[in-house]
Amino acid sequence: MTSWRPTPALVRACLLGVGGVSLGIVLGQEVLAVLGAPFVVLAATGLAGRPRRSPHVAARLDHTRLHEGQGATSRLDVDELAGVEHVTRVAARAAHVATLPMYGTVGSLVDEGLPTIAFSPRRWGRRALGAERVALTSPWAGWRWGPVQLPETSLVVLPRTAAYDTRAEVPQPDGLVGRHRSRRVGSGNEFEGIRPFASGDRLKRINWPVSLRTGELHVVTTRAEQDAGVWLLVDALRDIGVSGGIDGRASTLDLTVRAAAALAEHHVRTGDRVGLLVVAANGARVPLGSGPRHLQRLLGTLARIRTDARSTPPERLDLGTTSGSVVHVLSPMLFTPLVTATASLQRGGTSVVVVDTLGDALTEPDGADRLALPSLAMRMQKIERDDRLRRLAALGAPVVPWRGPGTLDTVLHQLSRRAQVPRVRA
Amino acid sequence: MRVLRPGVVASVVVLRALLLVLPCAALAVALPEVPHGLVVAMVVVSAASWAWFPDHAVGVAPLALVAGWWTVHGVVDWRLLVVGVLLTTAHLAATLVSYGPPTLAVDPRLARLWLARGGLALVPLLVTWLAVRGLDPRLAPSWLWLLAGATAVGLLVATARLVRPEER
Repeated sequence: MTSWRPTPALVRACLLGVGGVSLGIVLGQEVLAVLGAPFVVLAATGLAGRPRRSPHVAARLDHTRLHEGQGATSRLDVDELAGVEHVTRVAARAAHVATLPMYGTVGSLVDEGLPTIAFSPRRWGRRALGAERVALTSPWAGWRWGPVQLPETSLVVLPRTAAYDTRAEVPQPDGLVGRHRSRRVGSGNEFEGIRPFASGDRLKRINWPVSLRTGELHVVTTRAEQDAGVWLLVDALRDIGVSGGIDGRASTLDLTVRAAAALAEHHVRTGDRVGLLVVAANGARVPLGSGPRHLQRLLGTLARIRTDARSTPPERLDLGTTSGSVVHVLSPMLFTPLVTATASLQRGGTSVVVVDTLGDALTEPDGADRLALPSLAMRMQKIERDDRLRRLAALGAPVVPWRGPGTLDTVLHQLSRRAQVPRVRA
Repeated sequence: MRVLRPGVVASVVVLRALLLVLPCAALAVALPEVPHGLVVAMVVVSAASWAWFPDHAVGVAPLALVAGWWTVHGVVDWRLLVVGVLLTTAHLAATLVSYGPPTLAVDPRLARLWLARGGLALVPLLVTWLAVRGLDPRLAPSWLWLLAGATAVGLLVATARLVRPEER
């Protein structure tokens, strides 16, 4: 248990002050008495300022649910501040966590208020915030309590939902609620046409001007509003490139997770049902659902993604999707089995859109030796990947690099038009 | 080229430099009389150690060495006041630095507080210096010395008792 202990400054003042003056008097050394005199004051005041009780110190974060880039302030709670003059806090460094002050060290006199430290996680994932050492000092720096180690708080940092919006409709909406216009007639608001009254039609649908003009009852028909089943397939098999957090360069997994978060937020906001399948060592599957709580579940699942070098790509993807669903495959597409599995999905009648999240990961840095082995290997991998993507596009699965807002507009419009073309099935 | 470690604050570096310089300056006040080389070396080494570890008991060494040297030479002129100010300033600089790691910037309010406290601590220096210069110890009655000795012992015992950590 931590208790108040004399500081080296107090020990020094006592030895030089009391010791010096005492020896000066006893031995008759005037110089020693003169030089020791200032330290007597410092020693006496330091000794007199000894606090009586050991305080209980705890730190708390203002917010425990954060998106990357957001911040939370860590505040200190001290139950007994009597006899405390100064508080020092030193926060432990943590990967991808920025602190304010920059090096996490802060101190202030107690009468100014207890010092605070601001933490801001710069990357999604599980982050440990708030580990710190705290020391209290009595008046005249005579006594010190601590430093004591305060435990960290582990929290899941949700990915920032990169700005994303699209006006394109999902190709084949298959549910019965939501904002997407259906090809079927139903009880929506979108005008479809006017037809003669039939038994079973609701009276409020009667269009009186047309009925009076024609002499027969006519009703207004509308299109049904339907939601879409949207699956997000996240490739977390590898993380290529170095992540600089939200302010720096993005690794492939950063791009993948942020794009998935943006798509999930967009589709949930428009009333679609969204499901998530994470292809990784600790793979996860979130069934189709909608609403804000479901969005939080999706973001939480994305934030818990970890890569593992031993994880292997699946041979086939079993999403349990119907032909009306849309699958967004978010991947840098570096593994042939995953490309094959995506092609199988496409052949099965599912509308597949491949969102390429490679970004700049395989871009050679300026001035790099193009004949060096790593550069050659990188170029070979890129050529193979581009070939896979070309074959995938030839099968009808559009491949679009992730560019934020409007990334999927053109592709989804094309898929919608294609879905409306009558097909003859064998 | 980066001279300081990342995060180390310039004000802390200045204060630490003072810990090295001030004890040496207190010894240099004796010039043109040159202290023994061994004394100079010990003061420089201990002051450097103190500058490196300001919150360590090693800080007693340079101050005690300098005070001891001046005591042995028995100089009670104006230079003693300068030495007293230098040693007290070094002690205060170390105290200010010891509030936290090198990445903790010196709080201006705390620095002003310690400046005032330093001024207060220097009052007894002047008083005792004037007393030593102005009063003749041979005129003091013998009981006064006995009383002073007993007070000194009492103070030492009280200090030792107070400084002892709490038993739990």
